[in-house]
Amino acid sequence: MTKVKSAGGWILFLFVLVVVFFMGLLANSIMERRTEAVIMKKAVVDLGEWETRNEIWGEAYPEEYETYLETEKGDLEDILEENPNVSILFAGYGFAKDYNKPRGHIHAVEDVRNTLRTGGPTEEKASPMPNTCWTCKSPDVPRMMEELAAGGKDGVAEFYKGAWETLGSQIINPIGCGDCHDPETMALKITRPALIEGYKALTGKDITEASHQEMRSLVCAQCHVEYYFDKFLDGEKKGAPYLTFPWKYGITADDMQKHLDERGPDGNGHNDWIHAISKTRMYKAQHPGWEFWQQGPHGMRGVACADCHMPYESRGGMKYSSHHVTSPLEYIDKTCQVCHRQSVEELKKAVKDRQTSIVKLRTMAEELLVKAHFETKAAMDKGATDKELEHVRELIRESQWRWDVAVASHGASFHAPLQVSNILAESIEKAGNARFELSKVLAKHGFTGEVILPDISTKAKVQKLIGLNMDKLNKEKEDFLKNMVPKWDEEAAKRHKSWDEKNKEL
Amino acid sequence: MFLTDIFNIEIMFSIKGKNMNGKTVILPIVAGIIVGLGFFILYVFNFTSYASEEPETCMNCHVMSTQYASWTHSSHFGEANCIDCHLPHDNFVHKLYFKANDGLRHSFIFLTRTEPEAIMIKKGGAVVVQENCIRCHKDVVTQIGGMLQGVENRKCWDCHRFTPHGRERSLFSVPNAEVPYINSATPMWLRKILEKK
Repeated sequence: MTKVKSAGGWILFLFVLVVVFFMGLLANSIMERRTEAVIMKKAVVDLGEWETRNEIWGEAYPEEYETYLETEKGDLEDILEENPNVSILFAGYGFAKDYNKPRGHIHAVEDVRNTLRTGGPTEEKASPMPNTCWTCKSPDVPRMMEELAAGGKDGVAEFYKGAWETLGSQIINPIGCGDCHDPETMALKITRPALIEGYKALTGKDITEASHQEMRSLVCAQCHVEYYFDKFLDGEKKGAPYLTFPWKYGITADDMQKHLDERGPDGNGHNDWIHAISKTRMYKAQHPGWEFWQQGPHGMRGVACADCHMPYESRGGMKYSSHHVTSPLEYIDKTCQVCHRQSVEELKKAVKDRQTSIVKLRTMAEELLVKAHFETKAAMDKGATDKELEHVRELIRESQWRWDVAVASHGASFHAPLQVSNILAESIEKAGNARFELSKVLAKHGFTGEVILPDISTKAKVQKLIGLNMDKLNKEKEDFLKNMVPKWDEEAAKRHKSWDEKNKEL
Repeated sequence: MFLTDIFNIEIMFSIKGKNMNGKTVILPIVAGIIVGLGFFILYVFNFTSYASEEPETCMNCHVMSTQYASWTHSSHFGEANCIDCHLPHDNFVHKLYFKANDGLRHSFIFLTRTEPEAIMIKKGGAVVVQENCIRCHKDVVTQIGGMLQGVENRKCWDCHRFTPHGRERSLFSVPNAEVPYINSATPMWLRKILEKK
């Protein structure tokens, strides 16, 4: 043992001690502040993994929830009443029975229960639609998909199987928080498998690689896209009306048609329905909103859905995204004018002008298509064979597909006016060609006159003409709403109560 | 030596046949602790991110969430990032100096928790931002040059008050904004192991 010989050692020791002590304090301060950021990412309340009641989320996020409640605004508008031609075009299909303009998110479950398209199921008689129709209506959907995956099954395919009323008691809460948000971090989240699969097919990328700005549109693309039910997939999916986005070749009307042309039982084409008047195999376009948005000027510039449909609002010095998802024209000062300096009137006019000119094209296509359907029927009555009408029907299918793509994608006349005009021009051309071919077929069967259309001036007249018994359909719906729906709600109330009790225990 | 004396330890062992005593062992250990702690600080500081010019770097400090969120909802989003306005662009050295200077001051304020409730731009920063407004919007502002005679000390945002951050400035004015908050310093692989336990 040696003794400490100088104070130098002590000074160095104290110096190192102080340095390490303060370095430790610094490290501690950094770590504390980083932890704050992690905590800030966490949800304000513990919602659990499958809380699907929007009002429970709303307790923690009052601004967002209150604006969401505003989606209640807006009345039902009957498209068929306004434009009876639409009933003709959808003859033989659910949309000829009942077709309303879209309403706010909060009405999702209510409206799908009320529409005549889902029919009036009873204990004995099933709905004409499958459970797939629930997919876009509620945050209860991913909850059920998870539940049905028990035992290693394909929960998604299991969900789609079965008639629409079989899951009625489970799908209760309308589109809301859990559809787009992670309950733990509130980060944007994709909850619908169809988009995950479609995005992969379209881009080759996993959707988790999408940037935050992309996510601000992708969460909307879970529903606001073109889709069809594919019953001819392999494995466990076989037989289930599997919700699929037709994006194998791309997102234009041509690309999506190519995808549908390849599907069906023998790969000769998908079939949504056989047209009641012309007996054409038809495609129903849904609402390719996301597809059109990205083909247009705003999408190309990377402006997300949420930028215009969920603008920033401020109240009491706080800023939040409005969850009253609606037309941006409702609050131009918070949407368009963030980037555009024109007056409200000028901006409104710019949108309306585009819409007016596209409605003109749309009406042209509709009128030609209505005539083509009736003329096909006339040709059949005169003895024309399916072989003779094959090309005509192909043209009708392709024309109406384009008309439908343009019309059903709400807002496309603003999102991508050029593309919509093009598609409608193609629709008009194809319908014109169909009628030209038809005149040749009719002439071959000795008819050169004009096919006289029946009276199709009102919705009621058209529905009677295409053989719909509306009184019966309405009665069935009424009985269903009176007898079955209250039972669903009762069952749901019990389930929600049991969740509350479980939460209390925790 | 002193440390071994203080703790009354005698360390004797041999490396490659050479006898080592406490003095030659303790020094590298102490130096290692200090340097190691230094590296740890750099790591939790997310130090390498400061070489980047991405807005996410500014979100290393969560007190910037108001500014980040209001910018992403503005017309400057996607056109001009944080540094396009808030760092000088006259020359490279000035830019780096300004970045280092601001960065160090901000770190000090952040880590001593002395940030104000409503963050306001400093004089030096204002000069830089004004220069950058002009840098991009030259075509517009040259036309109004004549009108500004005698009022040269006016700033663009004296009139364009809400560009681009809006009027909400306080730390808590965007409570639920989705902004890229920094992740936990615990790496993913370690968290996975810990969660398993």
